[in-house]
Order: sequence, then C-alpha cells, then structure tokens
Amino acid sequence: MIQLFQVYKNFGSKNPALLDINLTVKKGEFVFITGPSGAGKTTLLKIIFCAEKPTSGNALVDGRNLNRIKDRELALLRRRIGVIFQDFKLLPRRNVFENVALALEIMGFPFYMIRKKVHQTLRYLGLANKEGYYPPQLSGGEQQRVAIARAIVNNPLILLADEPTGNLDPDLTMEIMALLKEIHIKGTTVLVATHSQELLKDTTRRIITLNKGRIV
Amino acid sequence: MKITIFHYFIRQAMVNIFENRLVHLIGIGTMSIAFLIFYTFILIFVNLNYWTEEQGRSLTMSIYFKGEPDRVLIENIEKELFLFPGVTIKGFVSKDDAMKSLRRKLGDKAGLLDGLKENPLPASLEIILSRDKGGDSLPYQLKTKLEKIDTVDEVQYSQEWIRRFQTVMEAIKIVGMIFGGLLFLAALFIITNTIKLTIYSRKEEIEILKLVGATNRFVKIPFMIEGSIQGFLGGAVALIILFLVYIIVITRIDIRIGFASLDIVFLSPQFILFLLFISVIIGFIGSTISLGRFFRT
Repeated sequence: MIQLFQVYKNFGSKNPALLDINLTVKKGEFVFITGPSGAGKTTLLKIIFCAEKPTSGNALVDGRNLNRIKDRELALLRRRIGVIFQDFKLLPRRNVFENVALALEIMGFPFYMIRKKVHQTLRYLGLANKEGYYPPQLSGGEQQRVAIARAIVNNPLILLADEPTGNLDPDLTMEIMALLKEIHIKGTTVLVATHSQELLKDTTRRIITLNKGRIV
Repeated sequence: MKITIFHYFIRQAMVNIFENRLVHLIGIGTMSIAFLIFYTFILIFVNLNYWTEEQGRSLTMSIYFKGEPDRVLIENIEKELFLFPGVTIKGFVSKDDAMKSLRRKLGDKAGLLDGLKENPLPASLEIILSRDKGGDSLPYQLKTKLEKIDTVDEVQYSQEWIRRFQTVMEAIKIVGMIFGGLLFLAALFIITNTIKLTIYSRKEEIEILKLVGATNRFVKIPFMIEGSIQGFLGGAVALIILFLVYIIVITRIDIRIGFASLDIVFLSPQFILFLLFISVIIGFIGSTISLGRFFRT
C-alpha cells in the first residue's frame, strides 16, 4: 500500500528532515511512527499524502509514484487517504456538518447521500448533537473528533493521523485510540505518528521509530 | 452528480460572498470606479458618433437673393425644389427678419447696427437636404441650378464643414478605440488585483480543500462565479452612477458647438445589456487570471 525507497528530504537547512527512509506498509496494517519532536514524523506523513515531495528517492502510494503524479491524479489519490492533522485544519466558518460533508462534496456525491453518510459518521463519533456548531465553539477533543469524522467519512483506504491525541486528556486519548482501532478493523490501513510513549505501551502493533530523520 | 456539484459551486460562491462581504464590498467599489471610467469614455464616444451621424445625415442650404425677392419667385423656386427627393423647406428669411435675428443674437451689442444706413443682410431661403434620400450629388446639382437664376446671388451649404468634421471624427474613432482598449486593460488589471485580494484572504481554506482531495477545478469554479457576480454588480453600480450623472448633465448643461445645440443620448438598453455582459466577462477573466497566478505560486 505504501512503499518508500531511499527517501531523502531536505528543507534547505544543514540537517535533512528525512534521510535514507526505506519503508513498506502493507494493506490493512496498523503502524505507529514514533520518535522525539523534530524526528521527521510529520514530514514522513506529508510525503505520503504528497503535501511535500521527496528531495530524492521514490514514494509509492496505492501503486502511484508520487514524484510523477499529475495534479488531477493527486486529488483523486488524496480522496483515498484520510488525514487527521495535528492542528485539525477545520474550516472555521463552516459548521461541523459542512466540514465533514466537504470530503464527500468534492467527490460529487448527491446531497441525500452526503447527509446520510455525515449523520452516520457524526453519530458514530458522538457528535450528532454538534453538527450545527462551528469549530471555535467546540473543545479540543470535539474538534479532534470532527477532524477524524472528515478523514473517515468517505471510507479511505489509508488513514494518516498526526499526533491525534496530542492535546487530549488521558480519557479522551483512550477514546480516540479506540476509534482508530475500530476504523482499522473495518479494513483501513492506519499510520499514527505520535511522540507519546503512553500510547505505545503494551501495543502489539508495528512501531517505526525515527530519530534525526532516520529509521532506527 | 453533475447537478449536485453545480449546485455546490453556486451555493459556495454565494456563501463566500456573504461571509467575506467586506472584502467583496471593497472589491465591487473598486470595480465600479474602474468600470465607471471605462463606461464614461464609451458614453462620450457613443455620443460623438451619434452626433456626427446625425449631422452627416442632412445638411442645411441657404439660397441668398439679390435685394428683396417677390413672393411669386419664392413660390416658384419652392415648387421646383419639391421635385427633388429629400428636400425640405425650412423657411424664407426676409432682409428684415435677418436683421431682427442678428439683433437678437447680438443682444446688448445690437446698438452697433444702428449706424448702418441700409440693411446689408441678404434675404434667404433656407432648405434642408436629406443625404439618405437625395444622395451625395444633390447639393452640388441644386447649387448649379439655383445660381443660374438672375435674382439668386449665392448658394451656400455646410457639406464641406461636415466632411471635414467627419474626417476628424474618423481620427477620433481610431484614437478612441485605442484609448478604450487601454481603459479595458486597466479595468481588467484593477479587477484582477481586487479578486486576488479575495483569493488570498481565503488561502488557508484553499489549502485545506486541496489536502482533502479537491481538484483545482473544484477550488477554482466558485471563485470564477464570485468574480463574475462581482463583475456584474460592479458594472451595474457603475451604470447606475453614470445614468444619474447623465440626468444631472442633461438637465443643467446645454452643450453647444457653434449655434447647434448638442443632444446627449444615453446608452441604449441593448448596449447596457452588452456592457453588463462585458462586466461579467471582465470579472470572469479577472478571477481566472488571479487564480492562475495563485495556483502557480
């Protein structure tokens, strides 16, 4: 599903953000990417959803070489990748329903289907009574769940989560992790970037550790 | 599905205009000023064109007599003139009428005429020739024919002046088209930059849309609709202002060239629709250019 070959990324500073990354993630896997702040976790996720291109090396996602992908193909690929951003990236002037519906609107779903799928997803995430709220009116945990709702509403093949529990208390952290596990059980490949050792304790999942841009 | 997306684009454009109403109001205001300059120029140009055509369509001919002609002679000349197509008799002006008219025109300075021993002004018959009906050679034919009559002193007509005026107008038309073209480009430039403001104010939103899988077209179309709506509103406001200014001008100012009063006409309804269409097109092109630049950077 995801293959990275000798990926190197440099933003222009002396130390590269990623160095000699070779990685394969199979369909249906649940993988943790961990490491201290600045280790390159976010950059690695950005390369996978093509927000950044590798300085050298190749990245293949769902069989597409991201170095040679065209704009339209990239848009279509991103529809198959759900991303939960560290800073949520919700549209502040659209309410919860509209933020989640966005992922379906861009795919051209008819409105009755959008309504049905968004309601289902918001119910699933415990946000059914919040659909008319705007992001600034919600707590951090609620905003996080809206971001998850938008990422999963169109049943993506891959779900990327960048520090999904970063700002949450332990109870909410467990709740979000339980949700991600549930999504994984339904067949989605999940990659979670986290620096929290608490999350990794007792896990049987594959853990990829990054340090100074390298896999260790 | 297509209808859903189209519905989304329209709804999104309207929502964006409402949510960013201040930026849009500034944009529409700026566009209105740009359009107003452009349309004022067009109105002046249309009027000059209309006026030349009106003047060129007919011309006035004056038949001057030696002394005071008798009534029978005038009637005979009139009968003969009626045989020519496109001839309208404006009226006979006797020597006394000519003097009275001159005194009226001189106003306070009419006293200058008191020193004259006799009235030097000739009696005349004024006629109007229609160029459409009579053709270009009619004035010359009539002049030759009338000057053969003993009591006719001289025949004068304004065609030479009109011809010269038309040559000047042709030159003005060419200069006008170049100037109009430049104003069009200036309006487009202002509008492109105005729309760029609205696009940059929503940079983050565009980034999020792209990250969740929106194609460039999906992001661009609502902006193009917004640009077109802005263009339409900017054009409409400019036309309303122009019409109000026109009303004030025609009721308060009498524009004259020589003794001829110049009628000022407003743009025809068809031309107004055409200009509104042009406004929409400029708004659309402006947003397309701005988006092109934005997506390249």
